[in-house]
Amino acid sequence: MHARLLAFTAAMLAIVPLSAQPPRPANPTDIAGEWTLTNNEEDTTAQPPLGDYLGIPFNAAGRQRADTTAESIWGTPEYQCRPHSAPHQWRGLGGARILKEQDPLTRDVRAYHVQFMRSLDWPIFMDGRPHPPAWAPHSWTGFSTGQWIGNTLKVTTTHLKDGYLKRGGPQTSDMYSMTDYITRHDEILTIVTVVDDPIYQDEPYVESTTYTIDLASNVAMETCNGSSFAENGGTDRHHVPHFLPGQNTALTEWLKKDDWIPVEPTRGGANTIYPEYRSGAKAFPASRSAVAPEKDIAAQSPRDGQVHVLPVQGNVYMLVADGTNITVSMGADGVMVVDTGAAAMSDKVLAAVNQLASSAVTPPAPNACFGANCPGSWGWASPYMNAIISSPAPPKPIRYIVNTSAAPEHVGGNEKLATAGFFPRGGGFGSAVSNVGRVASIVAHENVLNRMSTPAGPGAKAAPAAAQPTDTYFDEFHKLPEYFNGEAVILYGAPAATTDGDSLVFFRHSEVISAGGLFSTVSYPVIDLEKGGSIQGVIDGLNRILDLAVAEYRGQGGTWIVPGRGRLSDTADVASYRNMVTIIRDRVKDLIGKGMTLQQVKAARPTLDFDGRYATVAAGAWTADSFVEAVYRSLQEKK
Amino acid sequence: MRRVLLFAAAVSCSATTAAFAHHSYAATYDVTREVKLEGRLVQFVYRNPHSFVHIVAPDDKGVEQRWAVEWSGTTQLGNSGVNKETLKVGDHVVIMGRPSRVPGEYRALMLTLKRPSDGFAWGSAGQQVD
Repeated sequence: MHARLLAFTAAMLAIVPLSAQPPRPANPTDIAGEWTLTNNEEDTTAQPPLGDYLGIPFNAAGRQRADTTAESIWGTPEYQCRPHSAPHQWRGLGGARILKEQDPLTRDVRAYHVQFMRSLDWPIFMDGRPHPPAWAPHSWTGFSTGQWIGNTLKVTTTHLKDGYLKRGGPQTSDMYSMTDYITRHDEILTIVTVVDDPIYQDEPYVESTTYTIDLASNVAMETCNGSSFAENGGTDRHHVPHFLPGQNTALTEWLKKDDWIPVEPTRGGANTIYPEYRSGAKAFPASRSAVAPEKDIAAQSPRDGQVHVLPVQGNVYMLVADGTNITVSMGADGVMVVDTGAAAMSDKVLAAVNQLASSAVTPPAPNACFGANCPGSWGWASPYMNAIISSPAPPKPIRYIVNTSAAPEHVGGNEKLATAGFFPRGGGFGSAVSNVGRVASIVAHENVLNRMSTPAGPGAKAAPAAAQPTDTYFDEFHKLPEYFNGEAVILYGAPAATTDGDSLVFFRHSEVISAGGLFSTVSYPVIDLEKGGSIQGVIDGLNRILDLAVAEYRGQGGTWIVPGRGRLSDTADVASYRNMVTIIRDRVKDLIGKGMTLQQVKAARPTLDFDGRYATVAAGAWTADSFVEAVYRSLQEKK
Repeated sequence: MRRVLLFAAAVSCSATTAAFAHHSYAATYDVTREVKLEGRLVQFVYRNPHSFVHIVAPDDKGVEQRWAVEWSGTTQLGNSGVNKETLKVGDHVVIMGRPSRVPGEYRALMLTLKRPSDGFAWGSAGQQVD
């Protein structure tokens, strides 16, 4: 017995991370309360004039992004109700409320909750839980954990959406981390915030804000009602406001009044934030970023030979399979798989699908009924007994495979998964007609079948018959003829997008869209012009996703979008990506209009402010130049 | 009536500290220029954080466009005597506003609004919503 106890204890210690319970100070400071914004080192609104980047350690990408950002972007439907960005929240007007959530037995603080007038609830977990995997969604408040260091609460936040460092231009990527050091001195709360965004900064940006306790205040909640055309006017719901490089002439407007300030430091840069800069020094101290963006971006779509499962919503799961996302619907009708990953991953994908089907669809359910007339399996008094004693029924097989394009990472596992599945084509008494074969239905746009059955090019071989689509469509959309797992599933064609056979798949009750190659959080869209792709088709496809998707609240959550590669996303993430693609399209178009050759356009670097995000090692062979060339040629073809 | 409204607007703008713009007015609109828009009101979006008046009015080329003119939030407008019934679809209005900084955008920031049919007027130069 003693040995068993020791073994149990050892096993428990092995599975509980040492960081599970961070040490608490003997008398932890109580930071809960209603707080009033007192000041920061700039002003009380953190609304610098356009072009004022003083004190921001911008790199060239951050500077270009700030210069070309239009504040009208707030007027787009997806952004009208977004809360302030995390770095700005402490400085937004309206005060701050800090609540503490305590364990009722131990009275340990499990989490702090910070609320601002224009924010979602921001939980700071104090129970030692780990941060989510890189393929988990990002949010406006991010994911935060706290740890006391003496009298200071150190809050580490990851999984943040892209936004702005300050209003009026300076932006953040979605790969930054934020560290807040919150210290209470009697009735004063000091917050030192470190924004570490190596995509746009050469070193972390540090700011401080001071609050005073205010027992009489009560942080209000501002409502927001957005609508498609509410703010930006015109009749184009997909309008993306931005300035072309060099077009924003307002950047030095403020220096007409503050003419004692030289222009150079107003452009930001790591050197300019040090006192030595004023004395003309050439060497400066430098603090290093703790964020490794290349590694973090790659981690959103790891090529690790494994299959990672992320439950999404309703019936739908996301499988992260060695650099490709597979969307899976599980339920009483069986399994639907959207894209099948690389051929080499087929066995692991199939094993993951089967395991998921067993655990998600047919688990033993606790008995809630006693007697002979309980609902459940016929002939048994207890569904629970049936499930346990006679073992649960096997999960239903893969019924449908949907291919969002003919790209190898979308169709590579077709043959193996289709032959492991079963679509009752033909039907009849007892089972399907034998000569039809026991395979899953493979649904795709007609051009996917064309590409796979009669591929173009010298030496090109047709895909095995078992891998080819069995059910195709050619027009705007294709509805599955009946509910699957209790919901409508609709394929929408995206004409001339990454290829001429792209589809996106909408699970209408689960509120999930599988975007295929139209959307990636780790690369620019991979446009195959030879196979009928075009930049406008990609933009139209992204806009279609935004037209279908609805945010849950404040531009966040709601309809989830599974990208072809990368982290699970929502409308705001797709809007950000659509904005990026549209901005680059407009820049290339402008350069073409100026008569530039492809080489000149590449040299002008129209993707400068996005390359650190979408042209890293995670993008593989699809470089910034590849994308610019595709955009250039696509626009030339259109002319 | 007009004097009362103007006074109310002035009091509202000077006394309240609730100019809780979520975006920056100065960054959104060119505060050095003014645009005159005259046309038919097609929608009054009375809401937070900012209200909008939509009118169909010609652009500088004489082509009719749908303009979104940004106004204050409901609290501020309420304090200045404007409620959701104040403006009606079909009203002929004359608006002076700050144009968007983005070329080709049909949006503006409200400076003044006049309805000639009954003499209703809101705001005056220097009392804009920012």
